[in-house]
Amino acid sequence: MDPSIKDFESALAELDAIVRKMEEGDLTLERSMELYERGLQLSRFCHTTLEAAERRIELLNERGETRTAPPSLGLGGDEGDPRR
Amino acid sequence: MGDLFSDPFEEPPDDPLSPEPPRRAPRRILTVSQLNAEIRRLLEGPLRDVWVEGEISNCRVWNTGHMYFTLKDGTAQVRAVMFRMPLSYLRFKPHDGLRVIARGGISLYEPKGEYQIVCEHLEPHGLGALQLAFEQLKKKLQAEGLFARERKRPLPSLPRKIGIVTSLEGAALRDILKVLRRRYPNAHVVIRPARVQGEGAAADIARGLRALGRVEGVDVIIAGRGGGSAEDLWAFNEEIVARAIAASPVPVISAVGHEVDVTIADFVADLRAPTPSAAAEMVVAAHEDFCSRIDRLTQRLHGAARQAVQQRRSAVQALSGRRGFAGWPARLALHGRHAAELTHQLREAIVARLARQAREYRTLRTRLDALDLRRRFAVSRGRLTTADQRLHAAAHRARDRADSRFRVLAGRLESLSPLGVLARGYAVCWNAERTAIVRSASSLTPGDRVRVTLHEGEIACRVEET
Repeated sequence: MDPSIKDFESALAELDAIVRKMEEGDLTLERSMELYERGLQLSRFCHTTLEAAERRIELLNERGETRTAPPSLGLGGDEGDPRR
Repeated sequence: MGDLFSDPFEEPPDDPLSPEPPRRAPRRILTVSQLNAEIRRLLEGPLRDVWVEGEISNCRVWNTGHMYFTLKDGTAQVRAVMFRMPLSYLRFKPHDGLRVIARGGISLYEPKGEYQIVCEHLEPHGLGALQLAFEQLKKKLQAEGLFARERKRPLPSLPRKIGIVTSLEGAALRDILKVLRRRYPNAHVVIRPARVQGEGAAADIARGLRALGRVEGVDVIIAGRGGGSAEDLWAFNEEIVARAIAASPVPVISAVGHEVDVTIADFVADLRAPTPSAAAEMVVAAHEDFCSRIDRLTQRLHGAARQAVQQRRSAVQALSGRRGFAGWPARLALHGRHAAELTHQLREAIVARLARQAREYRTLRTRLDALDLRRRFAVSRGRLTTADQRLHAAAHRARDRADSRFRVLAGRLESLSPLGVLARGYAVCWNAERTAIVRSASSLTPGDRVRVTLHEGEIACRVEET
């Protein structure tokens, strides 16, 4: 990902600030365009980060080790529900 | 009471060591020790297991862990002791003024000739023991500020991992996972199985909370269990669990039983969910809020960019409509060539800029396409596609706008071209080298050469007189 974007929360905060600034107006066209491009970058970052996560269910044992939970756990038992 | 005491005297137990009935006995002298031993035997038999109701006073726990106190009613009192072990099983803390029902046996402390009741169990009078314990702990933790509103932390909008402390077999886990699967399909869940009722449950839950707090990336923890009796839910009323919740480095959602079940854990937790499903819904809602916030911001971003371009366009239009603008042609006429040059530069600059933007767009587009391959979730895919289309459309719109703006400017410049002025009969007089315009006759002397630009063509002239 873009090294200028630290993390999710800061990306969102920056996007928020950019939108406010642009909505206030009073910017040169050049500056507006710069901000717009940066804003798109941030928005894309947020979206891709949201989707980069993968569904995973893990179990943490007494020794602090994690392992993947048996599939039966995640399915939760209603997979056999005929309505689904 | 009287009956209990009189019994052994009227019907002495059939025991070879017991004294003869007093009326037939010859004088028999006992030592004090013998007397006390005898009394002890008499008391400890029939009064081995009694229930006594009274109020606690002079209550002290010694550093041996045993508790000494007095049980009293309006007119009488009796010494009482409760040893460390049975005391540790009490869920509430006995204190002065508390009315209790004590169960225990009478015992005589021979060195002092004092008897006392050795309590095996105490229960609060009126209030159930559990309820009292609940109230006591609640009061204590409240006094410590553990329930304070300022302590409550907001849920993370994008938890990297969601921790769950509960029983693997319980309905709670099933309910939570069901909600997450439906509404937060790419959630990463770490479950720390724990006993949620019975011996050791509270300690296990507390350990689980601490363990999850140490797992890298766990940003929120749900601790709970499904419905059950007050006894079943008791672990969540234990101090050790409350402390573990308070000490958790990340926000904790308590999710115990049903809506009506309120536990100490609920007071300490950052957020109380009425049920385990509701706890999952809370995590999901924070996440969904977040997604829509990004969408709203992105829309506003597009809007603001559109606005920025439109403002300038209308500014240009307003300017061209002004009366003062009418005087410009004459002034601009002589800079026509310059203007043409500038126009050319402007065109170059715009073309270069658009080309650069197109390149950047393509690069981003390529990266975006690469990311496309990783998209797995239909909901999110729809959203991204829309964003992508909007991005595309916005880039095109921006480019079209810049283009038409350029055409407007170019058209205007053309209308200001000196050719228009020359057509009306004006001419421009240059010096011989055509490097400067001649504005004054005094700058010339007879014999100088000049060049004159007409509407059509140019002529070379010689100055006759000035």
